[in-house]
Amino acid sequence: MSELLANLALGFSVAANPYNIGFCLLGALVGTLVGVLPGIGTVATVAMLLPITFGLPPVGALIMLAGIYYGAQYGGSTTSVLVNIPGEATSVVTCLDGHQMARQGRAGAALSIAAIGSFFAGCVSTVLVAALGVPLTSLALLFGPAEYFSLMVLGLIFAVVLAKGSVLKAIAMILTGLLLSMVGSDLETGAGRMTFDIAELSDGIGFTNVAMGVFGFAEIIRNLEMSQESRDIVKGKIKGLMPTRQDLIDASGAIARGTILGSLLGILPGGGAVVASFAAYTFEKRISKTPERFGRGAIEGVAAPESANNAAAQTSFIPLLTLGIPPNAVMALMVGAMTIHGIVPGPQVMSKQPELFWGMIASMWLGNLMLVVINLPLVGVWVSLLRVPYRLLYPSIIVFCCIGIYSINNSPTDVVIAAVFGLFGYWLNKHDFEPAPLVLAFVLGPLMEENLRRAMLIARGDATVFLTRPISAGLIAVAVALLVIAALPMIRRRREEVFVE
Amino acid sequence: MSEGAKSSAKGGGFRFKVRSPRDFYGGLALIALAIIAIWTSGDLPGMHGFAFGPGTAPRLFAGLLAVAGALVALTGLFMDGPPIESYAIRGPAWVILAILCFAGMIRGINFGPLTIPPLGLIPSTFAAFLVSIFGSTEMRWVESLIAAVVMTAFCVALFVYLLQLPFQLWPWV
Repeated sequence: MSELLANLALGFSVAANPYNIGFCLLGALVGTLVGVLPGIGTVATVAMLLPITFGLPPVGALIMLAGIYYGAQYGGSTTSVLVNIPGEATSVVTCLDGHQMARQGRAGAALSIAAIGSFFAGCVSTVLVAALGVPLTSLALLFGPAEYFSLMVLGLIFAVVLAKGSVLKAIAMILTGLLLSMVGSDLETGAGRMTFDIAELSDGIGFTNVAMGVFGFAEIIRNLEMSQESRDIVKGKIKGLMPTRQDLIDASGAIARGTILGSLLGILPGGGAVVASFAAYTFEKRISKTPERFGRGAIEGVAAPESANNAAAQTSFIPLLTLGIPPNAVMALMVGAMTIHGIVPGPQVMSKQPELFWGMIASMWLGNLMLVVINLPLVGVWVSLLRVPYRLLYPSIIVFCCIGIYSINNSPTDVVIAAVFGLFGYWLNKHDFEPAPLVLAFVLGPLMEENLRRAMLIARGDATVFLTRPISAGLIAVAVALLVIAALPMIRRRREEVFVE
Repeated sequence: MSEGAKSSAKGGGFRFKVRSPRDFYGGLALIALAIIAIWTSGDLPGMHGFAFGPGTAPRLFAGLLAVAGALVALTGLFMDGPPIESYAIRGPAWVILAILCFAGMIRGINFGPLTIPPLGLIPSTFAAFLVSIFGSTEMRWVESLIAAVVMTAFCVALFVYLLQLPFQLWPWV
């Protein structure tokens, strides 16, 4: 306990000088302002803003980065809620209910609860990291390739369960996503796979291109064919900006559960934060007395994934700093920035540079606080963006998306690929296929393949390894159970249909 | 993909009824995608010993996708479902054209007979905005022109002057 307090005290003594707080505030503000532009997701925002921290001293730079990261992430959630364009994989889930809430005029409540949930999750997981950082590291070491593969299978099953339509179609989407993620050079041999000899495809298809295409562009195309009334994002009056008492009561359980789930899954390197947000949503939907509200604007559906995502982002610092494995693209950028400032992720960080490690943990919490400070007053501004008529809003979104995609790699081909995925997303919609499982599978695909290959190699080609190792078997068992629970009502209904014949 | 819907059920010598065309043709398209994937990854080496080759996982997942697609198509034959909504042409065409405009103009392209010099951020953004406006039936000329100018100025101010991203602004710079 005293060690915990000493660690936190050290962290805050580093983070909490007025200059650093100023940097943090500035970072969060700029991060939010850029991140909120539709089409410019968290990855693009952090990538664009990284250079402005290079001139600062290491601690100041890291603290500003933490601010930018939280700002960008929250800005991304804002875009998910307002215009249904997720900037990164973790906010795909936020779109589901967040955007529905916005359509019902409750965007303000959705945005506020996202900020509040994130802040709560950040507070809890900061203490958790401080208290359990060292012992938790050993948990991550228990995970071998077989366990990671099974964990990702479980993550994908979460996505199947949360899909609205048929389980079979969701599985088909997962397989499509996995297949798409394999386009490009093979990780081990460098052989070009399914590239059709197009040079630009040899690096693979970028996540941003797929996400902007199937969510952003496809959504615009679909909106354009609707009549004006059914398309307007906000029907009727925008209700209060702040969540009501009832909203807070409804969301509090979801926030707590999302925090716990997120903290646990975040410790596992590789996709932890993504799986966490899908898992938290699925869990809420399962235990809810009224699961039919999910996907139609349930506040728990925003609170749970946003808290989980934030908690996971915080605890993912444990594998990041001890094993050096970044959980997502944004964290990978952060590692790059840390390296520039002389921090090499690895097991020695916690013991050799304690002021940096704990300063960083404390600054993440500060970044979170700044976020609430900046964003609660700004919620009204963001929501008023919804009043822009759609005939002017959609060309702006297209232009932002184009510039955002282009600026990541300075590649016009990426923009074309996103356009192709826009048409693909439109087609998916016409055939009632959901894009969310596809996108999750696309993100997890490379890691999944890598771990599958390693596990099979270590087990000398014995595929039963996934069932004989206890942790892996447990994860697979949960996945199968979830799948059966999800498929049962449908089978029953179909049988009834057959009997009606 | 909509052409698939036209060559509908009575094609073969025997008659069968497609009860849920969304599922049936969706499943068929996924099978086609899987076949393309298997075909393009066909020349990649597969398993050697216990180790996966680069072609193993793509063929494995493509095979599974083909199975899933077939099952989806089968449910389309046996379960009732809604018809396929008609595809709009105007919206998708102009939106895609706008995106392609941006992609083609920003750095210039040299694609077969079509050669565009690099035109830079300002013309590309302005053109993409104006082209995309046509996707909606509610466009108004004056308003759109003003919005395009304002938007272009905003993008330049934000990305080039504030964020210092290395964009070429004009064709001649």
